[in-house]
Amino acid sequence: MKIADISMRDAFFDALYDIARQDDRVMLLTGDFGAPSLDKFRTDLSRQYINAGVAEQNMVTIAAGLALSGKIVYIYSIAPFVTLRCFEQIKLDLCCMKLHVTAVGVGAGYSYSTSGPTHHATEDAAVMRILPGMTVYNPSDNIMVAAFAGMSYRDPGPKYIRLDREKFPLRYEEKHDFSDGLALLKRGKDMTIIASGMMVHQAFKVTEELLKHSIDAAIVDLYRLSPVNDNLLLQVMGKNKPVVTLAEDLVAGGIGSIVAEVMADNGCQSRLKRLGTENQYVFQYASRECLHSHLGLDVASITTGILRWLQ
Amino acid sequence: MTIGDQIIPFSPVPDTELSAIAKQLRRDIVTMISTAGSGHPGGSLSAVEIITALYFKIMRHCPSEPGWIERDRFILSKGHAAPALYAALAESGYFPVSELATLRKLGSRLQGHADRTATPGVEMSSGSLGQGLSFGVGTALAAGLNNKKYRVYVLIGGGECNEGQVWEAAMSAYHFKLDNMVAFIDHNELQLDGTNHDIMNIEPLGEKWSAFGWHTIEIDGHNFNEILSSLEEAKNIKGQPTAIVAHTIKGKGISYMENKVEFHGKAPNPEETKKALQELA
Ligand SMILES: Cc1ncc(C[n+]2csc(CCOP(=O)(O)OP(=O)(O)O)c2C)c(N)n1
Repeated sequence: MKIADISMRDAFFDALYDIARQDDRVMLLTGDFGAPSLDKFRTDLSRQYINAGVAEQNMVTIAAGLALSGKIVYIYSIAPFVTLRCFEQIKLDLCCMKLHVTAVGVGAGYSYSTSGPTHHATEDAAVMRILPGMTVYNPSDNIMVAAFAGMSYRDPGPKYIRLDREKFPLRYEEKHDFSDGLALLKRGKDMTIIASGMMVHQAFKVTEELLKHSIDAAIVDLYRLSPVNDNLLLQVMGKNKPVVTLAEDLVAGGIGSIVAEVMADNGCQSRLKRLGTENQYVFQYASRECLHSHLGLDVASITTGILRWLQ
Repeated sequence: MTIGDQIIPFSPVPDTELSAIAKQLRRDIVTMISTAGSGHPGGSLSAVEIITALYFKIMRHCPSEPGWIERDRFILSKGHAAPALYAALAESGYFPVSELATLRKLGSRLQGHADRTATPGVEMSSGSLGQGLSFGVGTALAAGLNNKKYRVYVLIGGGECNEGQVWEAAMSAYHFKLDNMVAFIDHNELQLDGTNHDIMNIEPLGEKWSAFGWHTIEIDGHNFNEILSSLEEAKNIKGQPTAIVAHTIKGKGISYMENKVEFHGKAPNPEETKKALQELA
């Protein structure tokens, strides 16, 4: 199957599988999760695959022990369980000891729309990005996902990669260099939308709507949430252009906060509007589209919100 | 029911009716998950007899007064089995049975994982495994502190026993001598990705609970006589909590789901649903 037709999870594990076949130091630990793309590990690379059970805290610290014994370790579960549930283990056992362990979380944002706040990942990226030494990737397409498998393998240090459950159109060319941490995907003279993950795709639809109102918006994909490439971010934002950040995540601490921090630290005076989930847990059970409407994150609401704010 | 200020607890049904109620809960579970198009049938079906015995026979509770302070508490720690809980709550009168069709729908009170702020009768919002027993310890401690006679029942999955917090809670329940507390372990031998044995061996499970200081009883978790007598036994145990290791079958009652890990988290399609309802007729 073509890379555009598979899930982010499969794109990631297919790429990791190819790496792991070449290097038996690579280990994959899962917290009682399987997938067809994981079956290959289980069968062909059985010595590099461990199902650690429903015990995420234990899994993180086992990974630390493996990493200190020469392994390059990946741990995998649903996003909140592989981050929030074992946060202190990640802080102490991965970050303080600067270990080469990558947490892979599936279910970015409202991917698990009907499973409720236990499965929604709306603060995971925010808390992971504040950990010193932690690299946080929030990919928006499968080319990027596959590239992150290689980058996380090559670059030492703890990482968090957050995968969506949906398939998205490809936005990047094969062999794109993702070391910049962000990319200007569309130019626009009137304002800039900075988005991440699935919201990058929402941003494209929003810019089409805005164009009908003669607003030409740029789109920036901020795919590395930590460390942030401040200089490039300031450069692509342009001088004095209004900036809107767009994410499904809680507004506090998320990409809106990242951009606000960069602006404040650099004396940037542009107007900033942060869109995302306002200070609440979502108990509405519905498709992701319905949740977006409920939260004002559907294309129409985002567009009218931006138009009103610009006036 | 309430008469004036007086709470009239739910009247226990005769033992002979329990099997028919269990069958009804199974029909509800299959129908609601199938209508929703997603959910966890396997682990909901394995818990049906335990939940039926508690809601229709054992617990003192009052469906029209879910907040009744004296009520016995049931805590569903394995939150993905919410459909089984919803079926019991509806069939015992907490809300209309017709509402079950709204599972996982926009605006519904019946979420994929239970939400105590929305659904009458739900004691704890759960869905992240491993936390319900600790919540039970808090609830059972409060009974002592507030001079209440209620009892606390917690339902845990076998795979859920992988979580360290379960054992922290087990240690503390014994330490606090919580004899008003019972933990059911729905031991269906499967978890999400395979058997307990292959993923994380939890055996010897009964001996673990005993070693943690719990009075431990092993039963057939689909046999009402055994469930009821173990609960009677638990009531007479003083100074320690009781663990009931209930040997169950994941997907129980539907031939093609029984012992099949595929139906851990997959809704039956319309064809499969029809077959299931025929088997449960
Ligand atoms: C902390 C946490 N980790 C992972 C999951 C995902 N998950 C849901 S059910 C399940 C397996 C549970 O197995 P078990 O307790 O045996 O449940 P049962 O077989 O009775 O359905 C897993 C891993 C979760 N809900 N919470």
